[in-house]
Amino acid sequence: MSTFVFKSELWTAQYTGLRVNTVASFMRALHEVDDDTIYYHLYRNLFEYHFLPTDYGNSFAYWLAENGFPVLAEKFSAIDLMECVCIADIRAEMLKILHSGVDGFERLCKPFYFIRAIRKVVDTGTVANSLEEFREGIKKVGIHSLFYHLVTSRLVHGEPVNDFSRWLRSMGEEEKAEKIERIDLMAYSLYDVRDMILNYLES
Amino acid sequence: MFEEYAKYIDEGTLNELKQLAKELKGVRILHVNSTKHGGGVAEILHRMVPLMNELGIETHWEVIRGNVEFFKVTKKIHNLLHMPGRETLSHQDVITYMRQTYENVSHIDTDYYDVVFIHDPQPLGLIVKKKQGQRWIWRCHIDISTPDEEVWKFLEMFVNGYDGSIFHIPEFVREGVQIPAFIIPPSIDPIHDKNRELDEGFIKSTLERFGIDPERPIVLQVSRFDRLKDPIGVIEAYRMVKRRYDCQLVLAGSFADDDPEGAEVYREVMEAKGDDQDIFVLNLPPDSHREINALQRSATVVVQKSIREGFGLVVSEAMWKYKPVIGSNIGGIRRQIINGVTGYLVNSIEGTAFRVKQLLANPKDREEMGRNAHERVRHSFLITRHIKDYLLVVYKLLKS
Repeated sequence: MSTFVFKSELWTAQYTGLRVNTVASFMRALHEVDDDTIYYHLYRNLFEYHFLPTDYGNSFAYWLAENGFPVLAEKFSAIDLMECVCIADIRAEMLKILHSGVDGFERLCKPFYFIRAIRKVVDTGTVANSLEEFREGIKKVGIHSLFYHLVTSRLVHGEPVNDFSRWLRSMGEEEKAEKIERIDLMAYSLYDVRDMILNYLES
Repeated sequence: MFEEYAKYIDEGTLNELKQLAKELKGVRILHVNSTKHGGGVAEILHRMVPLMNELGIETHWEVIRGNVEFFKVTKKIHNLLHMPGRETLSHQDVITYMRQTYENVSHIDTDYYDVVFIHDPQPLGLIVKKKQGQRWIWRCHIDISTPDEEVWKFLEMFVNGYDGSIFHIPEFVREGVQIPAFIIPPSIDPIHDKNRELDEGFIKSTLERFGIDPERPIVLQVSRFDRLKDPIGVIEAYRMVKRRYDCQLVLAGSFADDDPEGAEVYREVMEAKGDDQDIFVLNLPPDSHREINALQRSATVVVQKSIREGFGLVVSEAMWKYKPVIGSNIGGIRRQIINGVTGYLVNSIEGTAFRVKQLLANPKDREEMGRNAHERVRHSFLITRHIKDYLLVVYKLLKS
């Protein structure tokens, strides 16, 4: 029997010093910035606003919308982060969207500030050796931990499967693993996600 | 003390903070600022320092000394960093600043610590005491993106001697800052008198004391009497609203006896109020935390129509009390309000009036936005998040 160690990821923000004010310079910057910067603007935003009905899914999209590029904003917003297992894929996807874009890329916009996430994984001190302990763990850990195991660790491992589903499969719980995998993390709040997981585990 | 926060933040999140602190066990931290009382920095340190100690990180707080002349100079530096053009820094000012800095160097022990946080420009020069192996962080609470060039030239040599800096938002970072600039917004404390729950009796009696009718809608702006907070603009917006909606306007703030500009603005506001009995201009003592809290809790709609703002934490204070806030689309305010979700961002007096009317007319929208506003603050603007950010910066700098 394998032990599940509940971890969590905490982060803060560092300004990269990179500020752009046209879509053209935004595109160039997207090529240059490191993975943790892309992570900050996409994933941290997903976490930051998961419980609120915001217009767009990330700060790139907000900036595009604010500067008169609503179509690009919607396309950026619709990038399904759960289908990507590495930042390079997401970066390529964003550049593809911009390349298929419209005119006005040299038009002066409000500045966009690129921020890098400073990330730190911590042990929560909670472990599970059985389904019952796993359920208790899900109840006990913070939403940062849920986010880490469902979203971020996929990037770390470069795998499409989240940690919870992988462990449940190793315990022979294929159906529960499958249900958790199907949760749309882009649409539900992490509080709802926790409740859904607990329901699946109890079923 | 931490247990008091468990009511507001889930246990898991508090636990993560404790785990993070464990990784910094043995690290000694010092905060240095210019005053023990008054102002947002002192307020946050009063709570943050004991909390960090409770997390097992030895943390101390020192205040620099200075005579009236020194603080006149630092006030001038503050103004010139924030809003250049109205005065200049003289040669004598530089001498006064340096003389006092060297006095502070001898009376504040920084050698004992692994990490030193210096808050704002007043104690900035203490960096000359930095020892090898220590990490010094400049926590800048003001907007220095467009400073007076001469003042910046003077301060730049100190700033770039630090290992890292912290600003509220990236817009506040001066181009040319060569050290890492972390972005950490300020926070509110849910158990401070300003923010903790109040009983209905106190709220009612506070309104009665000021002659405000608790049965009629209240539009509120809390801010010091300063033109940058645009109180006259708020009165104009209220007058547009008043044509169709019965409501009262409360402008609550304070100005010190030694603040001639505050007194002048107060007079202007009183003049603009004229004989309107539904406008309440309240000049309250600076420690009227519970009264401000009561006003915020009794408000129907809260407005923050600043023209320029450091961060504008008063927005988060109102949001924490389940109030939708209509705020100017600038700086820190736009970081707190999510337009159409937790309140509205506006760009004019007309826009302010339009949104106030919308919210007065739609109690369900107010309720929903108020709930969103509270959650937004709980998630992003409480002191526990602030401590987590500081610990991560300390971790990052010590490991680099």
